[in-house]
Amino acid sequence: MTACERLSDRIPEVVRGRSRWTPEESAHLAGCPNCRAEWDLLVAVDRVAARAPAPRDPSALAATVLRRVADHRRSRLGSLGRWTVGVAAAAGIAAAVWTGVNRGNPASDPVAVAATVDIALPELEPMETAELDSLLEAMEAIPSPAPAGWSALGEPTLGDLDADELEQVLGTWEG
Amino acid sequence: MSASTVPDLPGDSELVESYLGGDQGSAAELVRRHSAAMGRFLYSAGAAPDDVDDLVQESLFRAFRALGGWRRTASFRSWLFSIAGNLLRDEFRRRKGRQVIALEDREIPDRADPHGELAASDMEERVRAGVSRLPRLQREVFLLRAHEGAGYDEIAAALGTTPGAARVHYHHAVKRLKELVR
Ligand SMILES: [Zn+2]
Repeated sequence: MTACERLSDRIPEVVRGRSRWTPEESAHLAGCPNCRAEWDLLVAVDRVAARAPAPRDPSALAATVLRRVADHRRSRLGSLGRWTVGVAAAAGIAAAVWTGVNRGNPASDPVAVAATVDIALPELEPMETAELDSLLEAMEAIPSPAPAGWSALGEPTLGDLDADELEQVLGTWEG
Repeated sequence: MSASTVPDLPGDSELVESYLGGDQGSAAELVRRHSAAMGRFLYSAGAAPDDVDDLVQESLFRAFRALGGWRRTASFRSWLFSIAGNLLRDEFRRRKGRQVIALEDREIPDRADPHGELAASDMEERVRAGVSRLPRLQREVFLLRAHEGAGYDEIAAALGTTPGAARVHYHHAVKRLKELVR
């Protein structure tokens, strides 16, 4: 490592007042225009930073940030709720259609199928921030493109059903 | 000794854990510790003064909603800077390549000024503009080192590069920028 490289490595800490030049370093700096220019640059950058606008009151800033995070989490939980209801609905539809074809099989009860995939939203309430975040991150990790029967927004779609199947579903819903 | 009677302040990692466990006060302390440095970083990187507050807030919002993304191989502050750097890059792009800093609005004195003098503030503005025009990695490596005194290992961990590459980026940045202060 050259003397210039060694000096270059030291400039940030000296500019920031964390260290001082040794006599040898001072002598090098006085006689080396390259190192002098680097020193002047870092001093200028330090002055630029000092001219940055005065920061907002951190308490108010923290309150705003945390409110936004809470709003964001709430809206994602809302999406999660719609997603789980969607899963239940889709499962119900699929099961209803399937039972239409396979009458008499108790395992295909749409209510039972829906119950296995629905997550009751109140159960999310007592979760800690970290648990909620990891659950929400997992929800966002749902692979794209979505499986057949799902729109890009993750909502169930009836688009996969033909006209007869739709009639059966509607019949189920309308009693 | 008074040092033994003053409890150690919790580290950033402890505050993050505490926040994730539900303590909002820990988040407020993290904001108090780092928001001013984030503002200096963003301003030095070329953010317009009027935008700095919003950019700091948006960076913190992105950070707090994705705290699991902090791997602890870099300091919390370096991680925040990397988020702020991403945001600023997006902002540069959103403005269709036009730098956030409005140099065209300023009269930059000719460097061959017959008096041989540049006002310090003009030179600083020239440096700020120069920093904003660096490639993103060069800019962030340079500012992490110049502002925070971060070592190359730390910088590499924060920005997802290698220490050797971080050193090269720093020296490229210095080479380009020091032409502005000669
Ligand atoms: Zn030298």
